[in-house]
Amino acid sequence: MRIRDEQMALFEQRLQAIGVGRRDFLKVAGAMAALGGLGFVARAEAANASKPAPGEKLARDQTFRFGGGGWFQNDPASHDYNKDLYCGGVPALFAGLMVFNADFVAVPWMATKVEGNKDGSVWTFTIRKDSRWSDNAPVSARDFEWSWKRQLDPATAAPYASFLYDIKNGEAFNKKKITDPSEVGVRAKDDWALEVTLEGPRGYFPVLAAYIAALPGYQRAVEKHGDKWTEAANIVCNGPFTLGAWEHNKQIVLKKNPYYYGAKDVHLTKVIVPIIPGASGSLPYENNELDLTALQAGDLKRLQSDPRMQKDVFRYPFPGTWYLLPQATKAPFDNLKVRRAVAHAVDRENVVKVSQGLAVPAWSMIPPGFPGAIDDPKIKAIQKFDKKLAMEALKGTPYEGGRNWPKITLSMRDEGLGAKPLAEAVQAVLLENLNMKIDLEVLEPRVFRERLWKQDLQFVWIRWFMDYPDPHNEYFDTFYGKKTTGKRQAWTNEAFDKELEAGRDTRDAKKRMAHYAKAEEIMQADVGYVPVAWVVRYAAAKPWVKGIEKNKAGQFVVDGNIYVDMLQHIYIVEKG
Amino acid sequence: MALSTPASDTRLPAPGGAPVGALTWPHEATRGSTLWRDAWRRLLRNRLAVAGGVTIILLCLVAIFADVIAPQSYTKPNFGRLYESPSREYPLGTDQLGRDVLSRMIYGARVSMLVGLGAQIIVVLIGVPIGAISGYVGGRVDLLLTRFVDVMYAFPRLLFVILVMSMLGAGLVNIFIALGLTGWVGIARQTRAQVLAIKEKEFVEGARALGARSWRLLTRHVLPSALTPIVVSVTFGVPEAIFTEAALSFIGVGINPPTPSWGQMVGENQQYLRSYWHLCVFPSIAIAVTMLSFTFFGDGVRDALDPKMK
Repeated sequence: MRIRDEQMALFEQRLQAIGVGRRDFLKVAGAMAALGGLGFVARAEAANASKPAPGEKLARDQTFRFGGGGWFQNDPASHDYNKDLYCGGVPALFAGLMVFNADFVAVPWMATKVEGNKDGSVWTFTIRKDSRWSDNAPVSARDFEWSWKRQLDPATAAPYASFLYDIKNGEAFNKKKITDPSEVGVRAKDDWALEVTLEGPRGYFPVLAAYIAALPGYQRAVEKHGDKWTEAANIVCNGPFTLGAWEHNKQIVLKKNPYYYGAKDVHLTKVIVPIIPGASGSLPYENNELDLTALQAGDLKRLQSDPRMQKDVFRYPFPGTWYLLPQATKAPFDNLKVRRAVAHAVDRENVVKVSQGLAVPAWSMIPPGFPGAIDDPKIKAIQKFDKKLAMEALKGTPYEGGRNWPKITLSMRDEGLGAKPLAEAVQAVLLENLNMKIDLEVLEPRVFRERLWKQDLQFVWIRWFMDYPDPHNEYFDTFYGKKTTGKRQAWTNEAFDKELEAGRDTRDAKKRMAHYAKAEEIMQADVGYVPVAWVVRYAAAKPWVKGIEKNKAGQFVVDGNIYVDMLQHIYIVEKG
Repeated sequence: MALSTPASDTRLPAPGGAPVGALTWPHEATRGSTLWRDAWRRLLRNRLAVAGGVTIILLCLVAIFADVIAPQSYTKPNFGRLYESPSREYPLGTDQLGRDVLSRMIYGARVSMLVGLGAQIIVVLIGVPIGAISGYVGGRVDLLLTRFVDVMYAFPRLLFVILVMSMLGAGLVNIFIALGLTGWVGIARQTRAQVLAIKEKEFVEGARALGARSWRLLTRHVLPSALTPIVVSVTFGVPEAIFTEAALSFIGVGINPPTPSWGQMVGENQQYLRSYWHLCVFPSIAIAVTMLSFTFFGDGVRDALDPKMK
């Protein structure tokens, strides 16, 4: 069954309504595209349980500690994903009908089988009979019926209930246009069959069912404890783990859930997740208080050169691009010659040195190894670093010889991840090569976004993290001139837009890529943006941590937005 | 108490610590000049205060002559030599862009001194008139002004400064304004209290009986006598301003890069503390030494100007 474009648009709307936004949508859409339009596997695909390799001896103590470097910086609001997908809790406490695997493909989880009717407007999930809640009650179709109706119930006041508006009468019920929940199109035919009737053909619905927003809640606990039901003393879980303890603002302790169907394959008996501010860096990891952590610029080089710890460090997939936006509507960047001068003046090789290994020089939007990556020497030459070309570009402008610059402010979002040193390096090379004096202004994220979208900033230092492996994401979603919302730059170019439209509407992969390459060429020549660096990310895991899943490209994948299935695969081997 | 002296406002000792000696008026054989001369003598006897004063003078010189003293440019990167530890070539090492930390600290002294003094000028310009008018005029004006001062006083200062800064945007001049707008409250209160006490004194009565107008009374008779606490307040205000700037730059709302500021240097590099200790430690020492110097000097000035101390 192919998912048609209008359905994709609807799917996107659903996700947007809950604030997931284009980025996350596109990640899923990308996974769907990868499977030829079917973003999920309909039949039970035994979740690849991790098993110790020959020669590995399981440690007696299967306790795993992870966090830091951006994970669990703040105390979760709750673990109630059924009510609020941004609760910030631990997803591993619950198991949904479907789950995303390490390649971002939705596979059945609490369901064993997913069947759609002919047009994809009615979906039937067959529920597995061997999984139980942590109070020993079976996980049945009724739990999901109740949970999704709870999310839609206006009395619940779930902030992102529109996530389930695809369900027939879901929106009407949520908006109090009908009051009878039995009219809502989700129904347990019996304990083991959940029938979901939708507003219309929605081929992507099983993918929605894999999202954390579709995780279930537990009726009896909610009825008894209200909003406090996810406190450690009250919670009942159906995921691989249960909540052993939750010391607010200090740590979360997970325990293996023996009632979970796959419990025999879950090795960890205890998971400790401390709440750590990002500024702590890798200190807790080095002090052996964590087994897995994400790494930041200040620590990466040191850990890599530490003979004891260098083996712990691994790179994980995180395609992203740092670039400059000279605002084409604001002086001096309204002058193409000035933009060209800037493009030639950015000494990328040197700029990335300050990132300490967390960036590499970029010559286009798409990093090597991803569809649409460009290796054309002609395009690489357009903005290549050349001090002389940079100064020559200024000839005939009021700024010839690097004089008479107006006040120039480079704005960036306040964020970690080594963003500021890179921006300062850009600032320094522009001063050196163009005598362009620039003030660097770090804006609070909300203010930054607001002014960015008004195209009110003169000069911007910004990144785009790839959402799904298709150039549509890197060009259309970012630079398309006719975009009405979330547009970062005032720059537009008719020919560029035409290439993007052609790329979108073409089916032949080769021709598509040619359109995007042309688009990149146009954008670089007109200096709609100045690519500077590609993102590189690292994490560190202690040698006794095993079982971290790998994707098809052979890279380790750790918990993020889409993939949240890391914990049940991990095991600890004996510390040799 | 001091009688009128001409151009009394010039008697404000430059908190840079330099010409405190100028506070004496040798040609005037009044008790007033004796007070200042006594104070000067007492100040010199206070070793900590002298040490503080000397350090402050040195810092001022460094700030003024930064262009001459600094071995390198504070903006010039050297991408071949990032994050280097102190060496002969770079006595305090290099930072994340390979810039010379020593040079950046020397220019940072300029920012700190400018902020310390600049903010105090604004503070005095706002606080003293408000305090003086409030105390001298009294009545409803006093009530209104005092309530206003109370309201301002109730705001936590740093929060208020951050608020002002986020409205004005980062930058040196805006720091002056933000610190000035929030810092005048204490000095206004002290001035008012002094003026209240002094305006009842006999010599003021006398001047008034001789026909002096309010303006003249206030500027020539009352204010000069109220100077002591103002001077003390300013000497303590300077380090507070320096520290506030450091705090603001530390959290990223103070001075914009590439202009160096000690607080900014600490703030940007604190997460590298274990990898590159020198980036954080040297600016921190600079802040600490400056704060201590001003505090010692301020203590000395206060003690010296306290008539009860002999």
